[in-house]
Amino acid sequence: MTLAVEADGLSKRYGSLAAVEDLSVAVEPGEILGVLGPNGAGKTTAIRVLTTVLSPTGGSFAIDGVPHTRASEIRRHVGVLPESAGYPERLTGEEYLRYFARLYGHERGSARAAAASLLDQVGLGERSRSLVATYSRGMRQRLGIARALVNDPSVVFLDEPTLGLDPAGQRQVIDLVRSISSERGTTVLLSTHLLAEVEELCSRVLILNKGRVAAYGTVSDVSRRAAAPRSATLRVGLEHVQRARSTLAAAGIGEVAATNGRPGSLTVTAGGDAPEAALNEGLRALTDAGVPVLAFELQGARLSDAFLAMTGES
Amino acid sequence: MSATTVQVRPSAERPAGGWTVVCAQELRELWLGGRGLVLALAFSVLLSVIAYLTATNQALNFLEQRESVNLTLQAAIAVGGLLALLAAADTISGERERGTLESMLLTPVSRLAITIGKLVASLSLWLVAYAITIPYVWFLGRGIGLVDDALVTGLVVGTLVAVFLASLGLIVSVFTNSNRVSLSVSLFLLLALYAPTQLPSSAQRGWAGESFLRVNPVTAGEHYVGKIVVSAHSWHEDASWLVAPLVGAAALACLAAAVGARGIRLRRGTS
Repeated sequence: MTLAVEADGLSKRYGSLAAVEDLSVAVEPGEILGVLGPNGAGKTTAIRVLTTVLSPTGGSFAIDGVPHTRASEIRRHVGVLPESAGYPERLTGEEYLRYFARLYGHERGSARAAAASLLDQVGLGERSRSLVATYSRGMRQRLGIARALVNDPSVVFLDEPTLGLDPAGQRQVIDLVRSISSERGTTVLLSTHLLAEVEELCSRVLILNKGRVAAYGTVSDVSRRAAAPRSATLRVGLEHVQRARSTLAAAGIGEVAATNGRPGSLTVTAGGDAPEAALNEGLRALTDAGVPVLAFELQGARLSDAFLAMTGES
Repeated sequence: MSATTVQVRPSAERPAGGWTVVCAQELRELWLGGRGLVLALAFSVLLSVIAYLTATNQALNFLEQRESVNLTLQAAIAVGGLLALLAAADTISGERERGTLESMLLTPVSRLAITIGKLVASLSLWLVAYAITIPYVWFLGRGIGLVDDALVTGLVVGTLVAVFLASLGLIVSVFTNSNRVSLSVSLFLLLALYAPTQLPSSAQRGWAGESFLRVNPVTAGEHYVGKIVVSAHSWHEDASWLVAPLVGAAALACLAAAVGARGIRLRRGTS
């Protein structure tokens, strides 16, 4: 099976500054890959290299099996929403998409049809004849996504599509990304700072830091590898707190303390080389002892924890 | 919101005639967007003032009829060239500044096609300026058999000067990130090109002075127009003065195409 995106040792340097260094990824068709990293990590540069806007200074890549040396052909296979994309204010949404459809080789008639269809798909059908200048930021982002789809690409790169949007706008864009992947079968590389959405949407995640790959794998693998849980918070009924504490102490799990300001909650910190197993053992001890556990959550097992641990952000 | 597939017409690796699509869009933005119309209106007001001063005001009208036509034609060439230069200087740096360049570079249209499309569209300002000039030249030159020669000379020389200046503006635009810098540098270069016309006439004579005028496409073109319109010389008599505009326009247009094809790119820190 041909990979949708395959990069091997990809680098982009500006003089002595390495914007991207030794990037290797293999993205399968239909996959949504989350691209994460702090500002300046190299996400945008990596996307610009993979979409042929910038030339790599080292390594190689292929999109849909097309090698990076055939840049013009690659551009037919990819759709891109660039970071902070600008839009011509004096055009209507329909004119804007029609123009790009023509640049991709559509005849006048099919360009008009493609523009109308895409505007409907991104929920801008009713505003197709309004000037882009009158669009909200969320509408512009959706217009940008429509433009990224104008050549029916097999791989779509979305560089921070939710940047500057309110929660409702973010939700609309996230839903749109999901539908692009599920209904079109399109591969999506999604660069974003919304970690919760990445956990929800993406099958795998790539974390970049200072131009290098800090982590690459499934969301759960990356989360565990970066920040193996050492503690857990559990909640029991107030009448069972003492029994829970004594059961955990007897099982020798580690330290048990009341969670500040939350009656009925206990924080368990495990020691040893396998803290996650020890915490699970503690949960089993509680259920064996007949203590009703209302909630149990491992701390440090979320993508956000992994992100912070791997990028040194605090 | 739902997503269904849009089929793309099978086409060549690069869409044929991509430059015409870019050119058509540039023309639409320039003329339907209103910027071209405003500039054309300002140009026609300027030409009206010049025509009024040279033809109807008895106190100020010290020019012969031929010199009135020459003055009007040279003003049209100068200002028409300036408009083409301004439009071209806005092309790439403007896209870069507005954050629209990256989207364009992501299409399969070649950078050469983008350059040609934008260059041709910016020349439309000169053609409109020339069209506006025609009735003024006809009015000022009627009755002395000068109109046809003046209009043809103006079209040839003006087009060469406009191609030269528009190419110059586009080259500057490729290398600059902001419109303000691009326009400033282009205007400075334009003033430098016109500076020899402000030298005292003694400095314009002699071997050195004439060479100085001949190698500059702008001054050489203006000199040629003067020879045809004022001195009533034949076309071929002073044809050597057309060499600089011809070579300058061809060389700079080729250079702009080469620079555009290789130099249009995102710069660090730009969208």
